[in-house]
Formats: sequence, structure tokens, C-alpha cells
Amino acid sequence: MKYSFLALIFIVSFNDVHVYANEDTHVHTKMSDGSSIKVDQARFITFSEGLKQSKILVVSVKGMVCDFCARGIEKTFRRDPDLLKIDVDLNFGKVLMAYKANTKIDEDSIAMKIRDNGQEVVKIDTLQ
Amino acid sequence: MLYTIPPMGILKYVLLLFVFLSADCFARPVSYPGGYTFMFKSNSLRDTAYLHYSPTSRNAVGVEAVSDKVSNDDYVYLRYTRLLFRKNHQKSQGNLYLNTGISNDGFDNYFYGIEGDWETRRIFTGFGYKRTETDRIDIEEKYLLAGVAPYIGDYGDLHTWLMVKFKENSYAKTSSLYPVVKLFKGNTLIEFGYSDSSNWDIHLMYRF
Repeated sequence: MKYSFLALIFIVSFNDVHVYANEDTHVHTKMSDGSSIKVDQARFITFSEGLKQSKILVVSVKGMVCDFCARGIEKTFRRDPDLLKIDVDLNFGKVLMAYKANTKIDEDSIAMKIRDNGQEVVKIDTLQ
Repeated sequence: MLYTIPPMGILKYVLLLFVFLSADCFARPVSYPGGYTFMFKSNSLRDTAYLHYSPTSRNAVGVEAVSDKVSNDDYVYLRYTRLLFRKNHQKSQGNLYLNTGISNDGFDNYFYGIEGDWETRRIFTGFGYKRTETDRIDIEEKYLLAGVAPYIGDYGDLHTWLMVKFKENSYAKTSSLYPVVKLFKGNTLIEFGYSDSSNWDIHLMYRF
């Protein structure tokens, strides 16, 4: 049994079943400052569906390599009553957040919360 | 030396807990700030049930109930874990932890150790060293762990790791290389491995 398992791991490693986000699936979304950011198209569309009168933030995060790493981020931000929706894109290392339109976004506070969770914010982009 | 799966006892309650708590994790010894973690581990040396609280993402304190198969004793550890080092990259993360615990049996009964890991979404590697000292016997345990994810799950999916673990302990004076499967979804993790020499190695975890 041990050797079959080792063989299975060997086969899997060398037949890399790639389900990583394919480059074809990304889209450059225009942000409020005129810059563009690479996000997963399907994911972004699903996330923004039904969101009216909101601010969408795309937070690029370093160190978010596993589902569990990101779970603390989600739990922390869900405590914020101004947050409408949150989603995590592990493939692109992004956290998508939708806030009520009148919310004053404090980027330093967002970066600190993510740092407290053990990851690092690279960039925060806002889509109005 | 022949060991058997810990039949009922702590295991019974842990399994019941998992039946009732069907939720969503990774085996990290420190959680997110304000997070609680319940862990059950069973191997050839001991069965343990451990509850810890993380006031920050670098510290965890907790209580661990131990059913010691070597001394046939039950005791409790007051534990502290410190994240000594973390390196974040865009596609990987590395961690180094210090684990310590002192038993209610007295200051002569304690353990300390380090654990480290480096992972991407495809590959996981880890190692650990633990030294347990009691008034009767001292035990050193070491392990190396490496694995691959056969598929890359999305956030919230069931994540699967196929791993190989090399483990040795100074009590049984054996070393073993055996397969380990790790499954996690959301806050729940199940890891199990089996070797001819040390039998079952089980780890269940729930975070809340």
C-alpha cells in the first residue's frame, strides 16, 4: 500500500493537473484611479452581481497560499457592518471586498488587519 | 512493538464532535487573532485533545489533555506556541513555530519543540522536532513531511494533500516512512497516515 501511494504521488507530481487560473480567464478591470488590475473574470463578475451603490476593493495579498490562511481574513472583515460582501481569489492572491457606497475606506486599517492575520498587502485598488 | 488504534475514549468524543460540526482549514499551530482551535491527535505514543486560543496571529495558548500510552498516565499540558518566523511570498509561505508545554504533574514534566513548513498551492514540506521530558522517561520525536496537492481547489472547496511522512521516535527506536492523506474544507481538517511500525497517525482539527 505504501509503495502504491508513493507511486501515486510521483505520477501526480509529474502529470501536473493544472487547475490554476489560466491566463485566458483574467480581465484587466479599470479602477477608480484610472489604473487597471488583473482579476479572475468569472469570479469578478459573479462577485459584483447585484452590487449597486457600493465600492469594490481589490486587495492584492502576499502569503495567501491556502484556504485556511484566507479564512481568518474573511472572518475578520465580516465583523465590519459596512462590508456587504467578501470573496477570496487564491489563484490571483486577491481579496475582493464590497463596501456600502458611503463608507470611508481606510486602506491603512485594511492593510493592518491583513497583516495581523499574518499576510501582507501589496496593493489596494478601489472600483466605484 | 505493536500498537493498536485508540478505540474509544477521547476518540469517541472527537468523532462525535465532528459529526455535529460539519464546517470548514490548514494544520497550523497558531490561528488568526481571536480564533479558537480544537485538535485531536492519536499516534503510537499518545492520544491528545487540545484546545487553543490565538490572541494574535503569532501566539497561541491552550490546554491539552493527554492519554500517554507509554506511561499509561493521563495528564494535562498548559501549552504555548509562538510563531517565530513567517515569510510571505506571492505564491508561497514559510513558517517556523516554537511549541512548549508544562504538565499538571509538575515542573519535571514538560515538552518543547519546533515545527516548520513551506508551502505553495501545489507543494507542501514540513519538519518537526519535539522533546518530551517526564520524571520517568524522555522521548525525542522527529518528522519530515512532504506532499503534493493532486488538484488546486478553489476557496471553500475540499482540499486534498497526498503526503509522505518520515518519522522517528527515541522510545520505540524505530523510524518509519509512510503515506499520509490530508483533507480539509473550511474550518475542518482530517489527516491520517498508517505505517507498519507505528500504525495509525491521526489528526483532526476544527477551527472556530
